[in-house]
Amino acid sequence: MARRLDYYFHETATGLRRNALVAFAAITTVFISLFLLGGAQLIGRQINLIIDQQTERVEVSVYLVDNISKSDFTRLNQMLHSMPQVESIRYETKQEAYQRFKELFKNQPDLVNNVSPNALPASFRVKLKNSEQFGVIKAQLEGQPGIDTIKDQSEILNRLFAVSRALRYGAYGVSAIMILSAIGLIANTVRMGIFARRKEIGIMRLVGATNWFIRVPFLIEALFEGVLGALLAIGGLYILKNIFFNQFLPAISFLPVVTTQDLLALVPVILLGGVVVALVASWLAMRRFLEV
Amino acid sequence: MIKFQNVTKTYKESVVALEDVSLEISKGEFVFIVGPSGSGKSTFIRLLLKEEEPTAGSLWVAGKNVTRLSRWKIPELRRNLGTVFQDFKLLPNKTVFQNVAFALEVIGKQKHIIDQRVPEIIELVGLGEKLNNLPEELSGGEQQRVSIARAFVNRPLILLADEPTGNLDPATSVEIMKLLDRINRIGTTVIMATHDNAIVDAMRRRVIELDDGRVIRDQSRGVYGYGA
Repeated sequence: MARRLDYYFHETATGLRRNALVAFAAITTVFISLFLLGGAQLIGRQINLIIDQQTERVEVSVYLVDNISKSDFTRLNQMLHSMPQVESIRYETKQEAYQRFKELFKNQPDLVNNVSPNALPASFRVKLKNSEQFGVIKAQLEGQPGIDTIKDQSEILNRLFAVSRALRYGAYGVSAIMILSAIGLIANTVRMGIFARRKEIGIMRLVGATNWFIRVPFLIEALFEGVLGALLAIGGLYILKNIFFNQFLPAISFLPVVTTQDLLALVPVILLGGVVVALVASWLAMRRFLEV
Repeated sequence: MIKFQNVTKTYKESVVALEDVSLEISKGEFVFIVGPSGSGKSTFIRLLLKEEEPTAGSLWVAGKNVTRLSRWKIPELRRNLGTVFQDFKLLPNKTVFQNVAFALEVIGKQKHIIDQRVPEIIELVGLGEKLNNLPEELSGGEQQRVSIARAFVNRPLILLADEPTGNLDPATSVEIMKLLDRINRIGTTVIMATHDNAIVDAMRRRVIELDDGRVIRDQSRGVYGYGA
């Protein structure tokens, strides 16, 4: 057994040296494709964190007319409470609105002084269970007596969702192409190895070496390339997380940042990716060239 | 040891390589397969190694039906068959020792067995002095001896030799034949495809003559051709 392992490692090392350039290209491609795949996951996770955080704050503001009648007010209040999409409702009086306005613009006293406490409308602040259901709420409330305007912040979120989706799909697309090229390149190193050793392989078959014995060195070579590429990708993602997410993002805003846990969760996926790429590539290469 | 039963091998476009061949070769026999180029000698050997399948009929090697043998059992079959070719098929970057040891390494034999058996067999073929030489430093006859050592090192039941003297001068060929004869006398069945009539005539062993894929003669203690 020890001798056999010795043989495998020797053959694999020879193979890698012989195809150093193609092996390098294969490893690099695996690295880039898996890095993109993992990067897309991290970016997606990051955007989700931001969306979650923002969703917390998103509310629909139902501004009321100044001279709202008591019955209209009661009816609106009951209507909102009976809606299944609504999570909570807070009533903000004109006075409270003015306080918030003063707080918000305390650096511009001129502006504050020019607005009378009575100028700001009272409103219902409605929190939705799902911010995407704004349309339903709006349709039901629109035209009801006592309502001035209905506003909502979900537009911004929708744009964020769209950006996130575009980014992720783009990265997935590029990563898929890169994975295909990685498979092609690894298959090529295996094929070149088989070609370089066709004489040995012919003799091995003649003297009765098993198929697996002949294949194992090529399989190890492919796995080495796949797994090394995957490890490089993990290293790359670690750097991306620590430099970009941890240093750069907090500097621009108080946003939640992806954690080491998020990265660790990706490690098995990326390693598995490297292994699968290697297995598919060697299968493709050996299917045609290593039959008895 | 070997049995062919109505074996026919046709390549695409109805090129017939062997046609309805039935014969038996017993353990310990020395058999020449003779005939002109394209008469089916090589196909005969390729069928035994299961490198090709017969179009019709069955054949047995060492009691096993080769036609029905599953693919994963082919290595086991080939470990019972030593093979020697006209072009030696040695690995140029390996020494004599390494070339012979290679045959044992790749079937997973342990190092101590290899270290014991390889020098023994190289001694047997008369190359004890050249253990560490590369093939290019050897004469053609010596290279063929290495290839015979490699074919025989795993003690196969049968030795298949496809034109083993085809690249050698007559004097060297005689030496190779002496070696094959010795291997045969140890108890190994030897099957040799050749069109070297001098050798066949000198050896006086069983001769199976093929022509256009048919057995036209099967003669014990035969010569190359009738009255030739």
